[in-house]
Amino acid sequence: MSFQEALYHPLLYTLVGMVILWVLGLSIWFAQSSYRYALKLGFTKTQLKKVITSSAITSIVPSLAVMLGLFALAGVLGNAWPWLRLSVIGSVTYELLAAELTATSMGVGFSELSSIGLSGLINVMFVMTTGIASGLVILMLFGKKIQTRVRLAAAKTHSFGTVALECFMVALVVTFLPAFWTLSWVHFLVFLTSITITISLGLLMQRFKLKWLKDFILAFALLGGMASSLLWHTILEVLR
Amino acid sequence: MNYNDRMHFVGRLGIGITLVLLFMVPVVYGLYLGAMPTLGQFLAALFAVAIIFVPIGIAETLSFTPILGNASYITFITGNIMNLKLPIAQNAQVLMETDKGSEESDAITTLAISVSAIVTVLMMSLGVLLLEPLRPIMTSSAVQTASEYVLPALFGALVIGLLKGTGQVVVKGKMKAGLMPFIVILIVNLFIINTSPVSGLLLLVVIPITILTAKKLYSKGHITIEIKEKDTQS
Repeated sequence: MSFQEALYHPLLYTLVGMVILWVLGLSIWFAQSSYRYALKLGFTKTQLKKVITSSAITSIVPSLAVMLGLFALAGVLGNAWPWLRLSVIGSVTYELLAAELTATSMGVGFSELSSIGLSGLINVMFVMTTGIASGLVILMLFGKKIQTRVRLAAAKTHSFGTVALECFMVALVVTFLPAFWTLSWVHFLVFLTSITITISLGLLMQRFKLKWLKDFILAFALLGGMASSLLWHTILEVLR
Repeated sequence: MNYNDRMHFVGRLGIGITLVLLFMVPVVYGLYLGAMPTLGQFLAALFAVAIIFVPIGIAETLSFTPILGNASYITFITGNIMNLKLPIAQNAQVLMETDKGSEESDAITTLAISVSAIVTVLMMSLGVLLLEPLRPIMTSSAVQTASEYVLPALFGALVIGLLKGTGQVVVKGKMKAGLMPFIVILIVNLFIINTSPVSGLLLLVVIPITILTAKKLYSKGHITIEIKEKDTQS
């Protein structure tokens, strides 16, 4: 069997499909359980519908970016394997880099992967899976312990634990923001556009009492911010 | 078994089964093709990937689990954390105005992330089915350019909520705790190197620094906790 035939073999699709169905089932279970528990905690069905709608709509645009990763990987690794890697554990940035690093360590460029033969292909699958599994193993071993401590900290409203919990978010902002801002002018301007849209829509919502808008602010700001990158690119090109 | 114990049990079992299924793919397919790599080939290739991604994987788990609560299980199983799941979690917490670490926040975050995971899996499946018809659109320069900016656009949309906090418990002055690491990271990014590829690892350093600084500021009264009245109209 050739490398290309192996990439599109029905058995590979069947194996990948089984894993994806399992993960889909697990996601549905988590959604159902948390929905029922949220009702018990006093949330109304209308409130939960808001959460579901907003989360679903907001997920569409970033998922399109993940789909682009699928297109990038599919040219070399076929459809089935990238479909699995980008649906389970993986992320666009990780999978593209992992595929490239694996190819390089096997002595070929990413676009030349087809020259490594079938055992090379299976090796790529093993390496890409093993490399990303560390986080899951840690979560399996220590997830409950970490969360029990978080619960205890959050329960004491007027204690430093509450502040410490907020610090995780502060740390996230201060770690990631400078890295985005300084990547390029367009990155910085997209960030500013997105924040401007968020503030403007928030004001609009308050001024005209458009409560429904609250569910869509993130989606609009995300879409507007990304679309503005085309404008910023053009403006910066003209200025150069 | 109560809700929390059930979540932990299914979460851990879910991770175990997912890992077995993931490794089943190359094992079964390798045996079918009669093309299993040798241990030497595997370890040589793994080294280059593991040296970068194992520390990042561990760092991300330790950093994000306190934020995500029980949703961590489904988040890490389905991946795409920074570019999708974390913003979705924050958005849901802002929408429902829940306090971090509370049971309400946990349930809402888990619901939001599970829905997001379902949407992403379905969209990826659709993408595979429609790979050829979608190729001209997905590979157009406009879509490719715009998709490079998902993260700054997401952060721009979320940063206000991140800084304001979500629930009734408001921590005033918390950003002061992050000021020093922010300035240092900004300088490093401006003049030395972009830290994006190692942001996950960097978080492991920034989180304890931020918490220690916050502790000092909290004890001196520069960071305070206030309880705001719940907006009954929202």
